[in-house]
Amino acid sequence: MRFGTFTGGIDLPHEKYATEDSPIAPWPHLERLQVPLAPCGRGAAECIIESGQRVAAGQRIARALDNTSLDIFSPAAALVTGITTVDVCMGDRFVPSPAIELVDLAEPPMNADSPANNSWRTSSPEALRRRLAEGGLTTCRNPLEPLHLFIDRAKMYRCRTVVANLMENQPYLTGDHRLMVERGHEVLAGLAIIARAIEAGQTILAADRRYIDDYGELARAEAALGVTCIALPHKYPIGADAILVKVLTRREAPHGSSLMATGAAVVGAWACVAAYRWVACGACPTHRVVTVSGELSATHGNFLLPVGTRCGDLGNFVRHAPLHGGPMNGCLCPARAVVTWATEAVLAIHPAEAQPASPCIRCGWCTDHCPARLNVSALNDAYELGLLDQARRAHVTACVECGVCSFICPARLPLTERVRQLKRAIHPGPAVAAVVGD
Amino acid sequence: MTETVRLTDPLEPARQGVTTAPFLRAPEAARTIFLVTLAAACAPLIAGMVLFGWYAAAVAALCVGSCVVIERIYYRVTHTPALLGRTHAYLTGVLLALTMPPFVPWYIPVVAAAFAIIIGKAVFGGVGHFIWQPALVGRVAVAVIFLTPLTPAYWPILARDKLLDGDIRSAQQVDPFDRWSGRAALPDSDAFSVRPPADILAGLTSTDEVQYSGLVQIPRELMLAGLKTPPEQHVPRLRGAVMSKLPPLNEMLLGVRGGGIGETCAVVILVAGLYLVYRGYVKWQLPMAIIASAAVVVAVAPIRLAGPDGQTLWKWLPLGIEGADAGFTYVIYQLLSGELLLAAMFLATEMTSRPVTTGGQVLFGIGCGAAAMLLRLYVDLPVPCYTAILIMNTFTPKIDRLWRPRTLGQPRWRPFRRKAKPLAA
Repeated sequence: MRFGTFTGGIDLPHEKYATEDSPIAPWPHLERLQVPLAPCGRGAAECIIESGQRVAAGQRIARALDNTSLDIFSPAAALVTGITTVDVCMGDRFVPSPAIELVDLAEPPMNADSPANNSWRTSSPEALRRRLAEGGLTTCRNPLEPLHLFIDRAKMYRCRTVVANLMENQPYLTGDHRLMVERGHEVLAGLAIIARAIEAGQTILAADRRYIDDYGELARAEAALGVTCIALPHKYPIGADAILVKVLTRREAPHGSSLMATGAAVVGAWACVAAYRWVACGACPTHRVVTVSGELSATHGNFLLPVGTRCGDLGNFVRHAPLHGGPMNGCLCPARAVVTWATEAVLAIHPAEAQPASPCIRCGWCTDHCPARLNVSALNDAYELGLLDQARRAHVTACVECGVCSFICPARLPLTERVRQLKRAIHPGPAVAAVVGD
Repeated sequence: MTETVRLTDPLEPARQGVTTAPFLRAPEAARTIFLVTLAAACAPLIAGMVLFGWYAAAVAALCVGSCVVIERIYYRVTHTPALLGRTHAYLTGVLLALTMPPFVPWYIPVVAAAFAIIIGKAVFGGVGHFIWQPALVGRVAVAVIFLTPLTPAYWPILARDKLLDGDIRSAQQVDPFDRWSGRAALPDSDAFSVRPPADILAGLTSTDEVQYSGLVQIPRELMLAGLKTPPEQHVPRLRGAVMSKLPPLNEMLLGVRGGGIGETCAVVILVAGLYLVYRGYVKWQLPMAIIASAAVVVAVAPIRLAGPDGQTLWKWLPLGIEGADAGFTYVIYQLLSGELLLAAMFLATEMTSRPVTTGGQVLFGIGCGAAAMLLRLYVDLPVPCYTAILIMNTFTPKIDRLWRPRTLGQPRWRPFRRKAKPLAA
């Protein structure tokens, strides 16, 4: 089966050698957690425990109030000390969220696999949807969205294709790759669960061609679960959802509409694992595999971190704030930032040299490499002159915010930021096109 | 209709550079681009210094020096910040030197540099904002102001034994000049003064110089009747005319012909231009479009031929008048003579004044090549290729607006003349 490709894009440096072979491990010693009550940035859950109370691992500590909030479970046996405020990542910025502070943590049980219950294969999609909605699951993509809302939306758009996006083609990120190597069957089964809940006919797992040899033994499992595993080249940003859907299905969402208008729903690898562990094993989603790496970082590896770990506790970030997410589309962590399900990585890298930006010399490289085929230099003109109408006519809403234009710009202009501002000015509110994941 | 909003400036100190994604940067900066282009442009310059002697080197140094000095003075006087200015001033000076004839008096490079820097670049706001390629602005300005000293009928080339250290200004007129190799310098002079090939090709088609006109068409009725041309009307065919009036092809490629300092050496220009293509600073489509469209225009556009009894007649398709071999020779000489190659490789590819998208660049290149050849064939201009590029530079913003690739999510086909729906739905 041949797949389309996309014009533009760029080959980024690989830079994954530090962590791509290190197995998923728990973080050695955490002293406190600040579990956010509104990890999706809105709809805080109601706290149902008291300060000074001891909670057990997996105990429900907050209850969803409405459709947009999530049940929150305690990641470890700990002592509750009170309510505090943290910052959670929401797209390209951090938003404040209330959080429950836990101290005196017991050693987290690692990989406590309870016996799997495969009754989900025969249960009805409605029952599956109800079961998923109880678990406080999320899409594990940035920006974060509750999984039940995601499934409802996919049902509304009548999505027939579910894609698990394991492309992960930014430097340093290896979490999905390790997950696929170590818990590949869970990823596949979870993907099948989500596909069954959406009632999609076609289930695709998109993985990097360079790693496909490591996943070889999963071929039989795929066939049994009805999942098609597809290896794609690693040209960045093929991991952007809109580009991935275009490559896989040759469909593109019209400007300004949701990506699901193409009939494809994209989920992350950890969402699949969490869904499987919740539906089949009954394990609460309290953790997330996070890559901790970067040339300034003392520790390198893929860690199973409880949600609510403070990003600042993951290393000695004296000179620079840690980076939340991949280096192409992440953002610098503020002091109160915590790990949520949207956290793919916490990186400590040298910041790009702060060279002063010079005027655009119209080299056209941004336009050549833009995966959305935007004329970025014209958009830059529109930004500098404040011409929103011109930007709208240049289809600025097609931007996938991959960061290639800023990466390549020889004049060092913050083009991605400028285009994003134009987009926000035209389309206020939550990001419409799903932002680049990996 | 036009909606103006105030967006927060990401260049404000708090959000500058390092605080927004991406946190990786490609290594190449604008300065690198200018420096590499500068280095590539030095190759034809060095070839020109070898071919035209020390005086050409002096002219080039004067061009570069006055560009840099004038730019510095301008920014000092007007108190505007020099945006990447230094490197680009050197680049402009070198490009200007490439286009300058080697024998000019000292004040012409200074005036050209002043026009290039002030009119061509600074009044538009410096690097990244100008419309016309600055070096060409300076060159065309002096071509208009100093028309007579810059467009002589006979252009000097150094003799073979006087390369590199000869004085280009001590030239003796040689006409007709068949070949350069194997010919020693005449006594008391270092150079020959010859007609440049572009002029000879133009002369072939002009009516008032019938003595040059080898392009005499044998009357059709005589050919049909199988009759031979009468001996007194026997004239060489097109190829013979081209080969007897013009230097051989290898000398054209080496650049031993009249012309600007950097315009003549085709081999070096091509190699340096291909290096720029390899570095990705020039898309191959643009020089290719210029050269191809120029070749097509030259091969098709009508030329004026002298008839057997003195009348002139217009003939289309010079490629086929006297057979493809003569036609191709004519086309190749037209491409190699004059300033077309330098313009295609170095001057039309100036980033700021060319369109951004690949398709737009192809359109731009087709326009440049066709206009250059049409101007050379039918309009008596001193530097037709440079004028053509300036003309097309004027249309660059329009081409950029017209030629847009299909963006992600845009329908492939849209019903004709239907208004776009507002996006905020």
